[in-house]
Amino acid sequence: MNRLTATGSPADAVVERRLTAVAVLVVAVWMLLLTRLFYLQVVQGDVYRISAEKNSVRTQRVDAPRGVITDRNGEVLVGSRPSFDVLVVPHETEDVPTTLSRIAGLTGRDLETIQASYGQPRGRGRFQPQRVAHDLDRDQLARVEGRLWALGGVLTQVTPVRGYRYGDSAAHLLGWLGEIGAEQLAKKEFQNYRRGDIIGVGGIERLLDTDLRGRPGGRNLLVDAHGRELQLLSSVDPEPGRNVVLTIDHRLQQVAEEGLTRQHKSGAVVALDPRTGEILALVSHPAFDPNEFAIGVDPARWRELTTDQFRPLMNRAVQGQYPPGSTYKVVTAIGGMEEKLINTHSEVTCGGWFRLGRRTYRCWKQGGHGVVDLQVALVQSCDVFFYKLGLELGVNRLAYYARSLGLGARTGIELTGEMAGLVPTKEWKERRDGTPWVEGDTVSLSIGQGMNLWTPLQLANAYASIVNGGTRYRPHVLKRIEEPDGRIVQSVEPEILGELPISPATLAAVRAGLVGVVHDPHGTGAVMKSLPGGVVAGGKTGTAQVVALPQGARADVEDTTHFERDHAWFVTYAPADSPRIVIAVLVEHGGHGGSAAAPIAREVMTRFLENEADLYAGNRP
Amino acid sequence: MPGIDRRLIQNFEWPIFLMGLALALIGIVNLISASPERGGGLIPDTAWRQLVWMGMGLGLLLATLVLDYRTLERIALPFYGVVIVLLVAVLFFGRIVNGSQRWIELGPMNLQPSELAKLALILLFARLLARRSSSAPIGLLDLAGPAVLVAIPAALIVKQPDLGTALVVSVVSASFLAVTRVRVSSLVLIASAGLAAVTVAWFFFLHDYQKERVFTFLNPERDPLGAAYHSIQAQIAVGSGGLFGKGFMLGSQSQLDFLPEEQTDFVFSVLGEEWGFVGSAIVLLLYLGILIRGLMIAHSSKDLFGAYLAVGIVSLFFWAGMINVGMVIGVLPVVGVPLPMLSYGGSALLTCMVALGLLMNVSMRRYIF
Repeated sequence: MNRLTATGSPADAVVERRLTAVAVLVVAVWMLLLTRLFYLQVVQGDVYRISAEKNSVRTQRVDAPRGVITDRNGEVLVGSRPSFDVLVVPHETEDVPTTLSRIAGLTGRDLETIQASYGQPRGRGRFQPQRVAHDLDRDQLARVEGRLWALGGVLTQVTPVRGYRYGDSAAHLLGWLGEIGAEQLAKKEFQNYRRGDIIGVGGIERLLDTDLRGRPGGRNLLVDAHGRELQLLSSVDPEPGRNVVLTIDHRLQQVAEEGLTRQHKSGAVVALDPRTGEILALVSHPAFDPNEFAIGVDPARWRELTTDQFRPLMNRAVQGQYPPGSTYKVVTAIGGMEEKLINTHSEVTCGGWFRLGRRTYRCWKQGGHGVVDLQVALVQSCDVFFYKLGLELGVNRLAYYARSLGLGARTGIELTGEMAGLVPTKEWKERRDGTPWVEGDTVSLSIGQGMNLWTPLQLANAYASIVNGGTRYRPHVLKRIEEPDGRIVQSVEPEILGELPISPATLAAVRAGLVGVVHDPHGTGAVMKSLPGGVVAGGKTGTAQVVALPQGARADVEDTTHFERDHAWFVTYAPADSPRIVIAVLVEHGGHGGSAAAPIAREVMTRFLENEADLYAGNRP
Repeated sequence: MPGIDRRLIQNFEWPIFLMGLALALIGIVNLISASPERGGGLIPDTAWRQLVWMGMGLGLLLATLVLDYRTLERIALPFYGVVIVLLVAVLFFGRIVNGSQRWIELGPMNLQPSELAKLALILLFARLLARRSSSAPIGLLDLAGPAVLVAIPAALIVKQPDLGTALVVSVVSASFLAVTRVRVSSLVLIASAGLAAVTVAWFFFLHDYQKERVFTFLNPERDPLGAAYHSIQAQIAVGSGGLFGKGFMLGSQSQLDFLPEEQTDFVFSVLGEEWGFVGSAIVLLLYLGILIRGLMIAHSSKDLFGAYLAVGIVSLFFWAGMINVGMVIGVLPVVGVPLPMLSYGGSALLTCMVALGLLMNVSMRRYIF
């Protein structure tokens, strides 16, 4: 056995001596393990056997209350409400099928759904209450409670569920909840989640899920073989989630929603503070009621929502991409001024049409506007003025100024799924279509028809930078995150994305035009006149063609079917000299901007100014 | 047969072979009981798969016996390199299960490179120590290189994250110090460096759930849902097994699904419940037998490489076995370390069987040259 030392090196001798010591150590450790095992199984064996057979430790999870979401004034938008549930403990129920059908009878719920919720509990699941009916109303609850004495193994329980106070109001922004999916669980970022966890699916609920969810607690209970709770062994209180305060003013949000609802039209409204980028209202219509998802969505209802031709799940304010119509004309105007192609005195004669090669492009006003300068062209939305100017600028210079306003790119709002829109260039068209850009394309483009696509949020933010003196802010909906005790965790400060590469004189000329749109006798936005307190507003209408019509013709609203009608835009801001709000309204297939979109903008603006007046008068909301 | 020395067959290493085979078979039987899903036949899927792995392991074990272990000294470095590449690859292309990215998909099988890392480091250190020309005690500077060689795979494994395996890889490597002459001053420094490393790891690298486990060990009341729950349920299961156990497939704690991870990290609790103290003691004694026999093989090895190789393999079984069993019976914190030969996991079983094969290899060649 002593072969190692035979080789004689000192290293060998060390190895040999150490090996004996190691062997002693190994045996000692193993003896410790065996001793502990003996203690557990033989000395304490009976105690544990009783634990295992008579009693078992049941672990109950205690969910953390999810954080509350409020608007900027502290109005609770999302909180909790009680849900009355019926549960069945399999182990204590003698005849499960009969019990389930009696519950179905008492609650008026569908028996198949109840059977499906009950599932097929096995093993440990047989000791745990299975929820078979969720969110009963008071009458249903009363009927079940009245029969509980005859229903062995049936319990009722109150649990908090997520409550969206205003139903479908701000649904896209707030988001909804659902059970975590298998593919999410497989990702590292979700490693602190467990199967069956409820997680935010859309909007703020998803974005701030880790803040809102808190930390679940738990209780270890000693229960007997009948599942009765004998003793509380230990418990840890859940840590409630953090509260989220949004920049939204829910009163404006509601006014905008009511406006779109009244018109029975799909559309979007964005209101923001041009001084900070804070979003005051973010509306997409039609919407859905997130409360329907809070208790598990019915598959048929989900199918209905996803196949609805009006696409209620889409957040039009950040995901809808529309041609800008005449709201685009500010881009053409800014380009012309900056490139010194025009000044405020340059005049063009509009005879009602513009000829390019063999094609004729008409102005929306038959017979024309006569002699127009920039101010008149913006006020009366003269097409011919901008046809000419756009053609001189060319597509790529138009694209440059559009991009410098943040158009055709994501604004960087926190919400996921924001679309970038589109600002076409020569190269882009050649790449996409394989056909060269032609001057006719530029002509259409310069009045906002053709290939441009913007989201309502982009439009609002672009106008905000024009009217606030040239600063682009990142629009945001999150104001702050607070601990349950009110301590502020995170507070969102305005973030400047950049300054417009546009001279103050140009911006002033454009703003003068926008005020004229509202206050000039010939302006297209007269709806915004005489606001509360005599506040002066500016604005711009837009009508975006959905279907290309024969040369220059405009569709008569009454003649076309719904989905062929033009989209109506209106963007407005006030007060004109130092704006505190910008509102962009889009009504899908609404027809003319001045008539379909502007009235909604006016309602929101009026409400905003009245709220401010209330505030100054000392009436807190 | 050409290439196989007759003496090799005469000197077949029966003790290790039989004890290893016994453990593997006990492992399969125990898995049958530990598998919750029992679809069609008597033997559940997981046990079948493990049986296939065991067959492959046995084949590989016998095949490696033909090869002289001293040739492994030459492939130690390239093998280490390949394992590092695989460990990097798994972070990019690995399959994610329960939030950890540990497996590379190879058709129907999944390869777990961190298991190979254990073998790679044992081979590498056996080679380095055997080749050491100087007989002076090992100083601190001599340890810097080896420390880096351990730190690279360990860091990659922590990143997956798989704290348990990273821990085993590190302690197995450090255990080589036990059979070398190291300056006392160096040991003190290493201990303080280790302490510093733990501190740094705690603040910068450990995930919350990992810290939670340590807290939980120190204070089991802290998290009744998580690690403490595992620990309490495992002890109830083992303890309720009593002297003779409740019998095969009759463990109420296991069968009623009270146990967590009962096929992997907590298999020993199923064994304890169903086979009692007698059953679990037999398994522990089988491990002890392998450890002692392994140390004897190291002792009688003809060359230093063989001796160090055997020491490394013994150290692997010692640490993994002790940490796992200690966790199940509540003397150590809950760390995700599988029980060698018994836990479900193909790469782990294969690694263990190849390791035993190497031990046999060293033993069978002690008279040859």
